[in-house]
Amino acid sequence: MTISYPQSDLTVRDDLINAQTRFWEHLAAPGTWLSGAERVAIAAEVRNVRHCEFCKIQIDALSPNSVQGTHQSDTDLSPMMVEVIHRIVNDPGRLTESWVRSAVDSGISNGAYVETVGLIATVMIMDTFAAGIGHDDVPLPQPAAGDPIRYTPAGAKRAAAWVPIVEPEDVTDEDGELYPGTRNAYIQRALSSVPATKHGYWDLAVVNYLPAEHMPNFDTDLRAISRNQIELIAARTSALHGCAY
Amino acid sequence: MSDVTGGVSGETDIPHAELLSAYAEAVYHRDGGLIAKKQAEIRQILGDAALVDCAAVASAFHGFVRVADGTGIPYEGAGGGTDTTDLRSEAGIDQFYRIAGE
Repeated sequence: MTISYPQSDLTVRDDLINAQTRFWEHLAAPGTWLSGAERVAIAAEVRNVRHCEFCKIQIDALSPNSVQGTHQSDTDLSPMMVEVIHRIVNDPGRLTESWVRSAVDSGISNGAYVETVGLIATVMIMDTFAAGIGHDDVPLPQPAAGDPIRYTPAGAKRAAAWVPIVEPEDVTDEDGELYPGTRNAYIQRALSSVPATKHGYWDLAVVNYLPAEHMPNFDTDLRAISRNQIELIAARTSALHGCAY
Repeated sequence: MSDVTGGVSGETDIPHAELLSAYAEAVYHRDGGLIAKKQAEIRQILGDAALVDCAAVASAFHGFVRVADGTGIPYEGAGGGTDTTDLRSEAGIDQFYRIAGE
């Protein structure tokens, strides 16, 4: 299935359409720790957040932990997985390490948590792009059958971040090319303990923003808006989310 | 700097900064009516390809922030080391929940 936007008369770049189509196939397939059905359910749950009354109460609260309630969900995901998805979508700027540890300690493995973060982020890219051009959500794909591969990189360790990451010096041949080129900032390391999720996320992220080799070059002129205009939108969006990174 | 944390309010060298900031805000709030209005302005002033790139960049950062905040990567050294303590303070980023709560 090739992604398309029939409600819009805009011409969307081929590299965007191709990357979006690859991500929809990636989403539907069995992952590293989650089945195709679970992955597509996570995408559906990302969309449920928009209509969740408890999320509206939580975002307005002085502290997200000061209010009690239940998220509105229509998927078969566990209550803790629903909490993870709703909090990351609705209020990412107020997540804490203790909250992440409580999710992992409740039975969501480190790997499944990282895979979920990557899928949430990538689905957010897809859905925000559609909204940004005035289009409805693209229909979710049908999940593919099969089992997760359950792979943990030998070098993954929890030290610098709240989740395990694979530092560049700890990458093994089995991990594949985790850090192509010289780009290994923490944002590129964040999902490294689940290499397939990292690849799926960055495959789409770079065509939306900039290819990695162009990120440090502020004279780059790849897009129809200038680099300064790109960074204004980027920084304003990050600030609205309260993102310190 | 306050254009980033507080919204564009004064002089800036970036062409159409106010429009682009307003578009980013409309997308963040998922305000369909305002998105449509700003979208039409961007198409008229900057062109269709520019709108696609505005949507692409805004959406990319709806992803980046969730990867960064969902995994708790260190914010020190972000931006290739250009994100200094002074810069964070000047921009008001020190008031963000994650830093203010430390």
